[in-house]
Amino acid sequence: MIRIVVSKVGLDGHDRGAKVVAKAFRDAGMEVIYTGLRRNADELAEIVLQEDADVLGLSILSGAVMPLTKRVVEALRARELDDVVLVVGGIVSPKLAEELRAVGVDGAFGPGASLEEVVEFTRERVREKRAVS
Amino acid sequence: MTESNVAENEFLTSSGYEVAPAYAPDDLERLGWSHEGDVGVPGEEPYTRGFTPEGYRDEIWEIEMYAGFGSAEDANKRYRYLIEQGSTGGVSMALDLPTQIGLDSDDEMALDEVGQAGVALSSFADVERVFDGIPLDKAGRVFTTGNCIGPIASAWFFALAEKQGTPTSSFTLQIQNDPIKEYIARGTQFLPIEASVRLAVDMFEHMREEAPNWLPISVSGSHMKQAGGTTVQEAAFTICNAIAYVETMLERGMRIDDFGAAIELHFCTEMDFFEEVAKYRAVRKVWAQLVRERFGGTTAEAQHFRLHAATSGRPLTAQQPLNNISRITLQILAQILGGCEQTRTASFDEALGIPTEVAARTSIRANQIVAHETGVPYTVDPLGGSYYVESLTKQMEETIWSVVADVDSRGGAVEAAKDGYFQEKLAEGAYRESMAVERKEQIVVGVNAFTVDEDAEIATFEHDDVAATRQIERLASLRTERDTAAVEASLERLRGVCSTNENVMPAVLECVKAYATTGEICSVWRDVFGDYVSETLRR
Repeated sequence: MIRIVVSKVGLDGHDRGAKVVAKAFRDAGMEVIYTGLRRNADELAEIVLQEDADVLGLSILSGAVMPLTKRVVEALRARELDDVVLVVGGIVSPKLAEELRAVGVDGAFGPGASLEEVVEFTRERVREKRAVS
Repeated sequence: MTESNVAENEFLTSSGYEVAPAYAPDDLERLGWSHEGDVGVPGEEPYTRGFTPEGYRDEIWEIEMYAGFGSAEDANKRYRYLIEQGSTGGVSMALDLPTQIGLDSDDEMALDEVGQAGVALSSFADVERVFDGIPLDKAGRVFTTGNCIGPIASAWFFALAEKQGTPTSSFTLQIQNDPIKEYIARGTQFLPIEASVRLAVDMFEHMREEAPNWLPISVSGSHMKQAGGTTVQEAAFTICNAIAYVETMLERGMRIDDFGAAIELHFCTEMDFFEEVAKYRAVRKVWAQLVRERFGGTTAEAQHFRLHAATSGRPLTAQQPLNNISRITLQILAQILGGCEQTRTASFDEALGIPTEVAARTSIRANQIVAHETGVPYTVDPLGGSYYVESLTKQMEETIWSVVADVDSRGGAVEAAKDGYFQEKLAEGAYRESMAVERKEQIVVGVNAFTVDEDAEIATFEHDDVAATRQIERLASLRTERDTAAVEASLERLRGVCSTNENVMPAVLECVKAYATTGEICSVWRDVFGDYVSETLRR
């Protein structure tokens, strides 16, 4: 069973995408914990730790995708949660997706990404990370 | 009510109404439709065809653009540009998220988001900078969201008009001031919903008295639709929320004949062309009837609410972004055939970030092409009498009435929002639609069909981080330079007023003029009213 925390990090309140993706993960047989709005990086890392989650999914629709994501990456590292799969969705251009991967994000998905693609990607990446550790 | 976007019959509108191969007079007869009762003449009851006999022959629609980012100076530059390019809707000002949630730019929670989705206005000093060199009477109209901070946003412009020496009658301020839909779909709530409604109605009441030409509310459906609502849910939920505000106003002893014309209902136009046209017609008819029969309105003016339409950002795709120009043009045409008098238009690069100047200009031009090159504005309600459009209008009207009855039975929109009634329907709709797109039951050109391997890289707006730093530094100096005693006294007075039934506006205005910050004013509210409690961990 894959355990995944889906969250709105930062202040933006557009939770349509987060809720849709959460439901897609659930329908794919994963256990989903949805955190609700306005979580900060440290809160999230704590939730991931306590829930023993395999995956953290961030949904960000403001212009602050990069800085918010960086803080989450740092918060995860500070708790030695490097093996957690980090997936980001929101206003992400192909260029930004590349930059996000460079700072430690496993997968970044922009508008119009397919749910199947997101779910399959996540499943595959969890399998890889489990195989390594 | 038909809620499904997708079903067996592939010829369904986006709200789920079945579409016949052709329409004839018996279709209307079956629905109990009559020319007199359902459409009549433009400018007359039941107002399905519009509120004026001449429509766009008198005047074409207003063309607004929505902009605002970074620091006050950035926003100032952008507004001057839009005004030069012919945006006739004045200045539409997006606020950054911290400001909308009542947080100052230097609040720890605001990190990374200062100036990101709009302009940061932590105090009246920032507002003065945005409007430096833009006299309010020259801007003509100023629009901003200010939903959960409505009283503060309103106070900024009373104070600014006073400072510029401009009478409030020389320009129009419009504030969205619709907190209920924040709890349902948009997400900037920070107080308990009842407190937010009280503040919104305080602002409304005060503005009606002090600046009756201003527009104190825009009850908005677009966010609910973009959160997953169907076209008819957008219409129905908006009307339910508007009923909640109006009934609060009536309870305070205000009369609909005095304020009906100040109500704006705001919707967004998406791709289901005829359904969008029918929606605007149905909404006019339903609201006018509510004003007459439920709110006790007796005048034509009270029924003539402002119908505001915006092309929706949601159908715009990141893939092959130039295709969005076609989408935007069709949306403009639908809302014009629907008779909307005020419009706002999205930009083709919106799915990729904050719009660039060329994209904003292209959207203004698309409106001007429809207005000046097509002949569409020559006659009022050109689709009136179409068997199909009339059938759809009638069906949507019936659905709206049934949703209103359902929400009434739950104790009204505020109670229904607290129970998650709307939110649940929107989440279901969003998932259903995503799956339909995924399974290609719903075609999105360039996304799940007609794709290309490589997209042209289009220029997107680059955000300036320096602006955020400058904003935070400026706020720090404001805190040291202002008259601290005056700030504290004004905040104390506000605190006192909040625990009574007195209107908060005069006290908020005093705070704003003393340069109390947005965060300080909102902290008083949080102390008195309590915090909004976000959803807890949920599996």
